[in-house]
Amino acid sequence: MAQDTNIVIDRGQSRWSDLWTKEDYLAIWLGFAVIAACILAYFNFGPKEEFSLKVAAADQIQQAEEGKAPFHTIAWHTAADDKAKLKASSSPFGKFVAHWTKHPGSWKNNPADAFVRSQEQADAMNAKAMPAYEEAKARAAAALAAAVEAENAAAAAVFSNQALNQEAEARIADWRAEQKKAASARKKTENKPYNYIPTLIGLCVFFIAIFGAGIFLMGNSARAFAIGFPAVFLVAVLAYMMGGQAISKQYGFGAEAWGILLGMLIANTIGTSKKILPACQVEFFIKSGLVLLGAEVLFSKIMAIGIPGIFVAWVVTPIVLVTTFIFGQKVLKMPSKTLNMVISADMSVCGTSAAIATAAACRAKKEELTLSIGLSLVFTAIMMIAMPAVIKVLGLPLILGGAWMGGTIDSTGAVAAAGAFLGEKAMYVAATIKMIQNVMIGVTAFCVAVYWCAKVECEGGRRVTVAEIWHRFPKFVLGFLAASIVFSLLDSVLGRGLSEAMVEQGVVRGGTRLLRDWFFALSFAAIGLSTNFRVLAKYFKGGKPLILYVCGQTFNLILTLTMAYIMFYLVFPEITARI
Amino acid sequence: MIEKSLPRRIGMFTVTLGAMLSFVFILLPFLTNSCTILHSMSEYLAENGIDPTRYYYTDVEQVKESEIYLRSVLDGE
Repeated sequence: MAQDTNIVIDRGQSRWSDLWTKEDYLAIWLGFAVIAACILAYFNFGPKEEFSLKVAAADQIQQAEEGKAPFHTIAWHTAADDKAKLKASSSPFGKFVAHWTKHPGSWKNNPADAFVRSQEQADAMNAKAMPAYEEAKARAAAALAAAVEAENAAAAAVFSNQALNQEAEARIADWRAEQKKAASARKKTENKPYNYIPTLIGLCVFFIAIFGAGIFLMGNSARAFAIGFPAVFLVAVLAYMMGGQAISKQYGFGAEAWGILLGMLIANTIGTSKKILPACQVEFFIKSGLVLLGAEVLFSKIMAIGIPGIFVAWVVTPIVLVTTFIFGQKVLKMPSKTLNMVISADMSVCGTSAAIATAAACRAKKEELTLSIGLSLVFTAIMMIAMPAVIKVLGLPLILGGAWMGGTIDSTGAVAAAGAFLGEKAMYVAATIKMIQNVMIGVTAFCVAVYWCAKVECEGGRRVTVAEIWHRFPKFVLGFLAASIVFSLLDSVLGRGLSEAMVEQGVVRGGTRLLRDWFFALSFAAIGLSTNFRVLAKYFKGGKPLILYVCGQTFNLILTLTMAYIMFYLVFPEITARI
Repeated sequence: MIEKSLPRRIGMFTVTLGAMLSFVFILLPFLTNSCTILHSMSEYLAENGIDPTRYYYTDVEQVKESEIYLRSVLDGE
């Protein structure tokens, strides 16, 4: 492509043929084809009936136990565990998809471990972990015996003796903690041999077919795409490999960061071959990935921690986003509105995923997305380590500290890590707040797209009609929202237990999410391969993006802490007391 | 603009790649092992299977665990 491929250019006219020739629509069809295939496979050939019966049986047990005792009994927890074990991704289709979408795994010293593990290596790892598992299993069994004894004592008093009830509750909590350690120890004894190289080759061919078809329909050369794509795929594979290294992972530098780094390294030293550039379809990969991400945006999640969670995640976030954007425009006078918006969304919502969605919605340049994600990754690594330490030094309560970190640290993985460093309850609150923020991505992308089409892209003083907004609107955002609505409806129709087993642990985690991950990894590899470092450096001139991020994040930290304190300790202390 | 020669470009690639890999495989491990708190964090993350590189909630197992816990204490379900 001779034109500037940094942004999608909209001619402001719509035709019926756009439905099968325009990138946005093709991304929607590709995303929905994957979604439809996963839904059909899991619901027609998956264990829906079996799971339905098991969920109903477990629900019945839990209801009966709730009526019996003023605390959650052993039988109640066992029924909950039985429901949590139900995963449609364990079905043959789920195993097939997981097998063929595997990416290079974790490793410490030998990069080959990311691709191949022999039976001997797996056996040695399992044997090494076995003593610790046996010990943890024994402790869990002992804790269960103590819990049973305590619960029986409480039951003998018809659960009317408060001291006995409290003792039973405490012993059950101990048992749950030991059981969790035993489960974690067991996982370390279940290592299997693998060889990802054949499946990686197969996956590359599959991607050439599905994306190549889209490229062909867009009127571009599918042959040129097919010739260049293996190089892009290889960079993505190497990025996964580097991102799986233990130390790199610890500091939050995953496949996305490495895709950009390795790609830029190649592009700015030896140079990206002209044969590879036709395969650097950044927007197509991102838009297809975003439609699949829509399937993970379930609106029922926003009530996970009640109204305090909604205020911390859904009230503070838009205030910070809008305020930071206005600050960037009026005070810092950022030369690029799109860079301003992407950084504001990245910092206030939830990091990389928000940056991707917002950048696509406002048609930001890929260098702007790169810069925004780079800033986010650096500050995420710092905040993940610093915030737990600051919270401990200040002596803040765990719930407050967790809510503060969940609402401010950008990536969910880093939030879980920071929360875990502080304590279990802090992690529970932090991770849940971040999940609620994640769900905001769809609304954010839609609002940004509407604002951009209606206000930013029109000439000064000119009134924009609804038809023109439609013409300019990035249609893939509708696909993203439609996927979210479909899955949210499916979630509510099926009911919690069956939805978790079939949708979340089946269609999503065993289907759409696996491909979404790859699509984004490919997009970052493609961004790196087509980015000129000098052009990127130009966006950083004057340090305004850094100042914007720091000022916005400072405001975010102050407002989130204030709101979390008000909601969790002043307005809803009863919710906090129960956590 | 004079394009750099192939040997020079390969040299730049090698040096830059070397610098990146040194940062990740030499400097960061040195920093982690030199600082007690960073070392403890590293061991904790490895022990508990927490992956800070994951950016969406469906990628992080601890989110599911958190959701189940909060539901059990808040809903009574």
